[in-house]
Amino acid sequence: MALHDTFLHLGRKNLLQHTYKQIFMQTRGLHKTTASGSVDITHSPADLKDDTAKASEEVLDVANAKNLKDMPGPSTVSNLLEFFYRDGFSRIHEIQMEHSQKYGKIFKSRFGPQFVVSIADRDMVAHVLRAEGVAPQRGNMESWKEYRDLRGRSTGLISAEGEEWLKMRSVLRQLIMRPRDVAVFAPDVNPVVEDLVKRIKTMRSLQPDGQTVENINDLFFKYAMEGVATILYEARLGCLEEDIPKMSQEYIEALHLMFSSFKTTMYAGAIPKWLRPIIPKPWEEFCSSWDGLFKFSQIHVDKKLSEVKRKMERGEEIKGGLLTHMLVTREMSVEDIYANMTEMLLAGVDTTSFTLSWSAYLLARHPMVQQQIFEEVERVLGGRVPTGEDVANLPLIRGLVKETLSRLFPVLPGNGRVTQDDLIVGGYFIPKGTQLALCHYSTSMDEENFPSAEEFRPERWLRKDSTDRVDNFGSIPFGYGIRSCIGRRIAELEMYLALTQLLQKFHIKVSPDATDVRAKTHGLLCPGAPINLRFVDRD
Amino acid sequence: MSSSLVRVLLHRAAVARVTLAPHQTLRKTSALSRCGSVLHRQIRGINTFTLPLRTEEKVTINFVNRDGKKISVTALTGNSILDVVVDQNLDFDGFGACEGTLACSTCHVILEEDVYKKLGSISDEEMDMLDLAYGLTDTSRLGCQVCLRKDLEGMLLRVPETVADARVDSQQESST
Repeated sequence: MALHDTFLHLGRKNLLQHTYKQIFMQTRGLHKTTASGSVDITHSPADLKDDTAKASEEVLDVANAKNLKDMPGPSTVSNLLEFFYRDGFSRIHEIQMEHSQKYGKIFKSRFGPQFVVSIADRDMVAHVLRAEGVAPQRGNMESWKEYRDLRGRSTGLISAEGEEWLKMRSVLRQLIMRPRDVAVFAPDVNPVVEDLVKRIKTMRSLQPDGQTVENINDLFFKYAMEGVATILYEARLGCLEEDIPKMSQEYIEALHLMFSSFKTTMYAGAIPKWLRPIIPKPWEEFCSSWDGLFKFSQIHVDKKLSEVKRKMERGEEIKGGLLTHMLVTREMSVEDIYANMTEMLLAGVDTTSFTLSWSAYLLARHPMVQQQIFEEVERVLGGRVPTGEDVANLPLIRGLVKETLSRLFPVLPGNGRVTQDDLIVGGYFIPKGTQLALCHYSTSMDEENFPSAEEFRPERWLRKDSTDRVDNFGSIPFGYGIRSCIGRRIAELEMYLALTQLLQKFHIKVSPDATDVRAKTHGLLCPGAPINLRFVDRD
Repeated sequence: MSSSLVRVLLHRAAVARVTLAPHQTLRKTSALSRCGSVLHRQIRGINTFTLPLRTEEKVTINFVNRDGKKISVTALTGNSILDVVVDQNLDFDGFGACEGTLACSTCHVILEEDVYKKLGSISDEEMDMLDLAYGLTDTSRLGCQVCLRKDLEGMLLRVPETVADARVDSQQESST
């Protein structure tokens, strides 16, 4: 094991150095640090005593660790019934809570052939994520890989693993992970927000009261798609137009098919290959929705590619954003670009739209909170359109997104990890290769982590000063570490800009016939019923 | 914008001129987080290389690693602490896993109080990541977000223990 660790460590170092060399070669002028010797001086550790002795609390008393056999959890049969007969898939978040209350904060379950250890404790989640190596693995992506092999496609950041994944991640994170790099996209996203506002005005005018927009998620879905495509493809898709262009409409359908067939694709993964001739539909739907998604990305990437080529041939200047950059620098093959564009777009639409829907829903139901956030927006912006840099001065807008996404409606109610090393978690010995489910929904709703957890309180995220900190693993909607959400900063920017401008323009109110909308799990945590809201002009 | 013309070497040996659009392009300087100098902040675009505007100066900084050993290194101003650790091959296991993209807190360092104060305000994104750092203190910072300046000469940085140090070793009883 030690050898394995060392190997991975060296692997990472080499990779870093390799990247460095590559960049250095590309950039001749980049200034490297002058060679300067490191001087090692032995220093007494006494005065530097670490208060992290607890670090080793879980340290590896393998001999005394409990065996997985002794871990509590629901029986295989009751779990099968719960999920396949009582449709537990749509209540994964609730079952997570029930099971953690019944069996404790670490429990085991079995879904057919898949054995899972669920972890619903903040500190244990922290322990697992902090112990991660260089290429963490989320879960079994066999069916995704199989489709890609079948069609000769590349894997992208979601479906790739190991070295292959790390290579792509290293390229992409340098482009879209740093907040200040992403803030520059604000001028591209703001026109999309403007179209969203226009669309809201059109849609409400079609209603008898002139105020209501029905099923707001449908609109936010289109906003999110348009927003993320603006950044990824440097192109507008027309999703917020009256008549959506045919190609974009087809893509939306492919996306819907992907999401609606989520359950069947879950089964598709679970159904053994030899059963496919008998039950062909799930696999066929799975493949055809992927076909649609890949086709769409390929059209956009190819279009940009021929534009770049044309300009290069003519010796013209090449101006552009993310995609242009990727096509010019070719740090990834075009096939890899197709795959990553496909997977990033897929990951960046409903996640963002559900969060926007819940945020708007919560604002409508808490007019006092809405007023408080509106006052902050007015104070800081005075009616002006926000820039990427303004967001830093809008802590309540950030708090709103955190309170919605991190706490009340974590769009990913649970995340997966396959352990890359043996671990001891919660006193149990967990062998390498075990599928873990990190139960974010449970930890977000845990009173120990968040007092008055049921309440909507964006101000709980405000910091008094720079030393005002919390141990925050109770709520990590984007994950943590090198396999965390690559689109995090893009999604945040889209949400901050949209919510700020919606508050500037409208009082968001509940519709008179509104009832409580509960969450259901459909792969992601989404509204269980349409959310209808009234948008009343502020002026 | 003429000053922001940059060249990108293409894989196919062609050389293209890439102009920076005011807001549509990306910044790309290195594999790691070169600190945002004034120049970097102003230029928004495919910025494959940038010559620093100001002259860089050498500063000596002192790390205390997880074994309590002191390591003194000389580095140039404008580099981040993470740059220094990578450039100088300092062997802090797991340090800077996300390459300075604010997705983890593995480049967590603990500063002395006066240095911590001198550095000034911390972005909210960094604070969010610090919340997740192991063994957090009141003078903790992320190494990728701290830029070397002349007035930091002689600063002392402690590299805290990580939970990864406590990973199980199935061959032996314990890996620590």
